[in-house]
Amino acid sequence: MANAHPHAMAPAKPGKTRTAPPQRPPKFPTGGRYLAYTLFDWTGLIYLLLGFLVLKTIWTLGDGQAAWDAQIASFSHPAYIAFHILSFISVVFVGVRFFRLFPKAQPPRIGPAKPPPAPVILGMLYTVWIGATVLFGAILAGGIF
Amino acid sequence: MAEMLIKKFVVTRFDPDQDDVPRTETYEVPCHPDWKVLDGLNHIKDEIDPTLAHRWSCRMAVCGSCGMNVNGEPTLTCKKAVRDLPDTIEVTPLSNFPVVRDLVVELEGFMDKLKSVKPWIIRAKEKAVEEGPTRQSPEELEEFKQFSMCINCMLCYAACPVVANEPEFIGPAAIALGHRYSIDSRDEGAAERNEIFRGEGTVFSCSYANECSEVCPKNVDPAAAVNQAKFNAVIDWATGLVLPRGGKE
Repeated sequence: MANAHPHAMAPAKPGKTRTAPPQRPPKFPTGGRYLAYTLFDWTGLIYLLLGFLVLKTIWTLGDGQAAWDAQIASFSHPAYIAFHILSFISVVFVGVRFFRLFPKAQPPRIGPAKPPPAPVILGMLYTVWIGATVLFGAILAGGIF
Repeated sequence: MAEMLIKKFVVTRFDPDQDDVPRTETYEVPCHPDWKVLDGLNHIKDEIDPTLAHRWSCRMAVCGSCGMNVNGEPTLTCKKAVRDLPDTIEVTPLSNFPVVRDLVVELEGFMDKLKSVKPWIIRAKEKAVEEGPTRQSPEELEEFKQFSMCINCMLCYAACPVVANEPEFIGPAAIALGHRYSIDSRDEGAAERNEIFRGEGTVFSCSYANECSEVCPKNVDPAAAVNQAKFNAVIDWATGLVLPRGGKE
């Protein structure tokens, strides 16, 4: 078992008795329920790489039509396809996890109104998410504008 | 008579006078099928090895004394039945706490953190006794009742990955108790606590792993309290920017 921070939960004024150092939770970071939390954290790396890819793609806009076409054509490479599938899975995973935890973390009260029940909030979140995805999909596919 | 279950208890031992680091000791315990893990530990202490040190009191999941890791899971040992566990039961002290002896952890750090969130009713002006009691409606009670069910068992601290990394993090139970008073209709100290919650090592250190709520034996849902406290702290700060005197009378 790995040690936690040596001062985790240590009293402000050390006691007289010698203590054994605190240990990390035994199943952290990949055992049991911790796996979902660790994977959630790792998706940050995917978004970082995705951010660089978006910046690189936007950058090619300034290099002329040929550069843009080459950049778009490069997305058909299996590595890019795999990366985009991984990104899509990450987005869905984070979205579902966030939506699952959101209702209980919502503002307990805004003014005198009570928040709606969790299923209503979840319904609203998923409607907005799916609606926005369909809208952007339609714009990117040329269906709108 | 019901057939006894033979369980192997692998228990962490640490004697601060003799051991440099904790070690494990294994005991074969004949358990009644209706025994809890705590009964097994008490059997070890009473019949096999009287030097074993562990905390317990009420035996009915109310006092919060007997929290330990059972097979890696923070658990109230008086609540966990041995028949639901495999033949080998590993009992270790709660994670993220210094160990005083065997299965007994140091709780003073938590007491320091608990005091820092002012878990009591704060009133600008005390009411005179002649004015009678401060009334509270069932709806107002319902607002905070869930968060007042905490028994300070420390399972949430043992499960929290942030507590392991950030020694200054106040932690789930203390924040839940602070939040409990902030949303109590009789309390007038929410602004004071929001100021505390906007400081280092408080609500914004929480990365919402939700592990505290998963292991809470009283369904307090500390993760909800911490994240509601985050929101309240931000709203309080933003209100202070746009309203005169921070929107206070």
